[in-house]
Parts: sequence; C-alpha cells; structure tokens
Amino acid sequence: MAFVSSGYNPAKPMENRITDIGPRKYDEFYPPVIKKNKGKWLYHEILQPGVLVHVAESGDEVYTVRVGGIRLMSVTLIREVCDIADKHCDGHLRFTTRNNIEFMVDSKDKVQPLIDDLESRKFKGGSFKFPVGGTGAGVTNIVHTQGWIHCHTPATDASGPVKATMDVLFDDFKNMRLPAHVRVSLACCLNMCGAVHCSDIAILGYHRKPPLMDHEYLDKMCEIPLAIASCPTAALKPGKVELADGTSVKSILVNEPRCMFCGNCYTMCPSMPLADTEGDGIVIMAGGKVSNRISAPKFSKVVVAFFPNEVPRWPQTTNCIKNMIEVYAADARKYERLGEWAERIGWERFFEKCELDFTHHLIDDFRDPAYYTWRQTTQFKF
Amino acid sequence: MPTVEYGGKTFTVDEDGFIDSFDNWNEEWVQLVKEAEGIDELTDEHWKTVQVLQDYYKKNGIAPMVRILSKVTGFKLKHIYELFPSGPGKGACKMAGLPKPTGCV
Ligand code: HEM
Ligand code: HEM
Ligand code: SF4
Ligand code: SF4
Repeated sequence: MAFVSSGYNPAKPMENRITDIGPRKYDEFYPPVIKKNKGKWLYHEILQPGVLVHVAESGDEVYTVRVGGIRLMSVTLIREVCDIADKHCDGHLRFTTRNNIEFMVDSKDKVQPLIDDLESRKFKGGSFKFPVGGTGAGVTNIVHTQGWIHCHTPATDASGPVKATMDVLFDDFKNMRLPAHVRVSLACCLNMCGAVHCSDIAILGYHRKPPLMDHEYLDKMCEIPLAIASCPTAALKPGKVELADGTSVKSILVNEPRCMFCGNCYTMCPSMPLADTEGDGIVIMAGGKVSNRISAPKFSKVVVAFFPNEVPRWPQTTNCIKNMIEVYAADARKYERLGEWAERIGWERFFEKCELDFTHHLIDDFRDPAYYTWRQTTQFKF
Repeated sequence: MPTVEYGGKTFTVDEDGFIDSFDNWNEEWVQLVKEAEGIDELTDEHWKTVQVLQDYYKKNGIAPMVRILSKVTGFKLKHIYELFPSGPGKGACKMAGLPKPTGCV
C-alpha cells in the first residue's frame, strides 16, 4: 500500500504533538447499571460456571458472563467481541486481570440468549471462540507472555504451550469441582513476566547451556560492565581475547561451571546469545498464591527440573500438569490451595502422590537463603 | 548491517540507526543524527550532553544513569527531552555514538 500520512510531519516532529494525556478514565466505559450502583453492591453469587450475578442495595442486578480469552488476538476477533457487546450488552464489555472477557447484562432473561450466542461461535478449526467459564473453584485462563511470537530472550513458546495446556484442562475451565481455584501461569524465560512465581502451577522456559560469545562484536555492541554486573553468580569477568585474524579485543570471559543459564547477560548484551533447540525446555513449579485467604501469599517451588520443548503440543508438560491437578483434586480439602495442600501433607508426600521424580536440581543452592529451604528437623515421613 | 552516507562519510548502522562502533564516531555523525532525530539546531547544550556521555563512556565503559547525566550536565530530565525529543537513550546516546541501550526498555 502506498504511504498514507496521519497528519504527522516528520520535518517538524514536535509540532501539534499531544503528550502525557494518560489512559481514558475508566468510568467513561461503565455500563449504566455499574455506574449507578458503584460502591453499593450487597452480595454476589456464581449461578453456574462462567456466570455471576451481583446484587446492589437498590435491588439492581448485573449478570456477568465470563468467557475464555486467547489474549493474542486479531482486530477481526475484537470486532466480533464488539458485535456481541452491541447485540446483547448495549456496547459494553470488560477484560479481566487474567485476560478473560466479561459481558454484562442487567436482567436475567438476557443471560441465556447471550450464552447461547457465545457458545455457538467457533473458529474454522473447530475450537470455541468464546467458551463460557473461568469462575469459582476451577481452572481459569493462563496468564502468559510473548514466547516465539515476539520476544528475543525466550527458552520456550507461550501461546503454543498455553493452547496445549488449556485444551487438556478445558473441562476444569467449564466446571467448579476442585477444592479451590487453580491458577496456571507461563513465562517463556526466567525474567518471569507475569505470575509464574506466585501461581498454583507454573510453566517456565529454561536454558541448559551457557552463552555463546561473539567476541568480535561484543565490545562494540555491549557495555561490558553492565553484562558483568547482570550475572547473579558472578560467572563473568572482563578479559582480552585474540580473534582469528590476530587482533586483540576487549571482551568477557565466562566461567562455565558457575553459569546457571539464566540469560541475564544476553538481556544486557546482544553478543552473548544462549537459546538452543535441544538445551532449552520447561521447568514446572507449583504451590504459589497471591491472596491472603487463610494462609499468607506463597512463592511457587520448582517440582520438575526439565521437560523438553515438544513442539507443537508439549505432551510431557501437559500430562504432568493434568496429573498434578487430578491428584490435588482427589486429596486436598475444601478451600485448600495447591500450595497449602502440599505444605500440610509435606512436600515428600506431594512428590510421592504426584509421582514426580525428586532430583538434586530441586534442592536450593543459591546463596545463604538456600539453607533455610533444607530440613532442620527430624519431622518427616518415610 | 546497512550503511548510510553523510557529508562524504559512510557509516555502518543497525536497524535502529545506532552506529556500529564508538570508534567510528565523528562530527558528521552528529549532523546525521540531528536530522534523523528532528533537532532544529545544535546548541552548546547539545554538545555538552554529547561530551559528557562520551567522557563517561570512555572512562567507565557504560552510559551514565540518567540521574548522573542530569547532575553532571546540570540539565533536568525535562530539559534533556527538550534538547533530544527521543530522550537520553534513543536521542543523546545515539548522537554520542554509544552502543544501543539494552534490557527491558
Ligand atoms: C525483559 C523485561 C520485560 C520485557 C521486555 C517485557 C515486555 C513485554 C511485552 C512487549 C509485553 C506484551 C505487551 C502487549 O501485548 O502489548 C508484555 C506483557 C506482559 N508483561 Fe512484560 N516485559 C518485561 C518485564 C515484565 C515484568 C518484570 C513483569 C511483571 C512483574 C511483566 C508483566 C507482564 C504481563 C503480566 C504481561 C501481559 C500483559 C497482557 O496480558 O497483555 N513484564 N511484556
Ligand atoms: C475487597 C475486595 C476484594 C477482594 C477481597 C478480592 C479478592 C480476590 C481474590 C482472593 C482473588 C483470587 C486471587 C488469586 O488467588 O488468584 C481475586 C481475583 C480477582 N478479582 Fe478480586 N477482590 C476484591 C475486589 C475486586 C474488585 C473490585 C474487582 C473488579 C472490579 C475484582 C476483580 C477480580 C478479578 C477479575 C479477579 C480474577 C478473576 C479471574 O479472571 O480469574 N476484585 N479477587
Ligand atoms: S518471560 Fe522472558 S522470554 Fe517471555 S516475554 Fe518475558 S522476557 Fe520475553
Ligand atoms: S547466563 Fe546467567 S549465570 Fe550464565 S553467565 Fe549469563 S548471567 Fe551469568
């Protein structure tokens, strides 16, 4: 397509420039029933999986239908979402903090037609466009990241494994049979964009090889002290390197036995790439939560040291997650989050019940705090 | 990497218009970046900023933190943006011939 100007003048970039206007104010987009009853809600109920009702002091009701969102979506799909909102909800809708979509209506008789419409819509390949669910004690959407779609530091993909995992867990998106809700998150490298460090189950991209050094360009492209300071284990030091043609350049030397493949140095220095087809894969973590309900928030812990990247369906990863959820569902008490359950029965029982291998990789060895994760008591089960 | 010509000199640049090596910087480069960054006229304040960045980079091997740049030049961040509309990283560091900023930018 030929160039079409928006009116921006590259010769005078600061002319007519609008800046620091911030986001649109949220209340511009409230449905009328939300605007009217804001701050005056009495109670809510989950009528069925994916459907909530909130009742206000005035007696007004708002029915919310939550549907799975794929997060990465085309404008075409957003337009379809808008069409649905125009048809059933006077043009209003919202997205949740887990990237689900919520359609709100102000009377009960509008709910079933909305659900029927949403559930009838499918992609050509057969998958639901707007599956209703994600409420209560089930599995809701997977908070995830960019993967091989857009980022330069991933050790695995995001959209692919998320689709594979949600397909396996789909029944629990549409049901509320678990002891408590199970939050699954994914991050494609251990920058951990998102929520992997605080989720019931977390999928994390992991490298197993040290960076490859591009000595010829390193000093030109990188601020060497930054790369050295980026290493959590001090595996890097400055040094001179002789190139094949005999010239001596400033560069970085890697002490490989100290490197644990975090990739931080590559984040700071483009001349230290470390992604590797066979080396890269997935770590599974479990037992995190952010709410204060009963127990304090928890970090998730590493429970599987490595699964390979099995494109496009990641079967070992999805089987492991499915199995963990089944064992948790059968064994945990009502309201018990996965981490609370594992801590109550003891992590040795967790590994036994979930039939997970306990390998030396799972034992913390990072600085002084590692010591506090070892067992300084005789209290354990055989 | 692509090359650009300016004032009879040839520069190798990356896709964001940063120079391939600090050693290849010269005054023509400053003029080239001035145009690309939409700067009308180079003032003493522009040159002072470039000078501070270069001195710091030669001495420390890194670009200064924004707070240090402000403190040494005496220019508040707001003024640095008035001088370099793209900011201290994409504007001033590019003009000074420093490597492209990295990390979660
Ligand atoms: C290497 C540093 C980081 C980079 C390069 C980065 C970049 C990005 C980008 C480009 C996106 C996609 C935004 C979009 O879809 O328009 C994203 C999404 C996201 N990032 Fe980061 N980010 C970084 C660090 C973090 C950190 C430290 C956190 C959390 C503590 C975080 C949380 C998130 C979340 C929750 C999303 C998903 C948002 C959504 O649902 O669209 N990011 N990140
Ligand atoms: C006192 C007020 C509130 C409390 C105690 C509360 C509590 C909670 C808790 C415990 C969770 C589950 C977090 C987790 O462990 O994963 C949650 C999730 C959530 N909350 Fe709240 N919340 C409050 C107010 C709100 C408000 C005002 C909104 C929105 C208007 C909201 C929207 C959400 C959403 C969208 C989720 C995630 C649901 C999903 O997509 O799965 N919350 N909240
Ligand atoms: S988790 Fe890592 S690889 Fe994934 S989007 Fe974030 S920085 Fe990129
Ligand atoms: S990958 Fe991580 S541990 Fe290894 S050298 Fe780079 S920063 Fe250090």
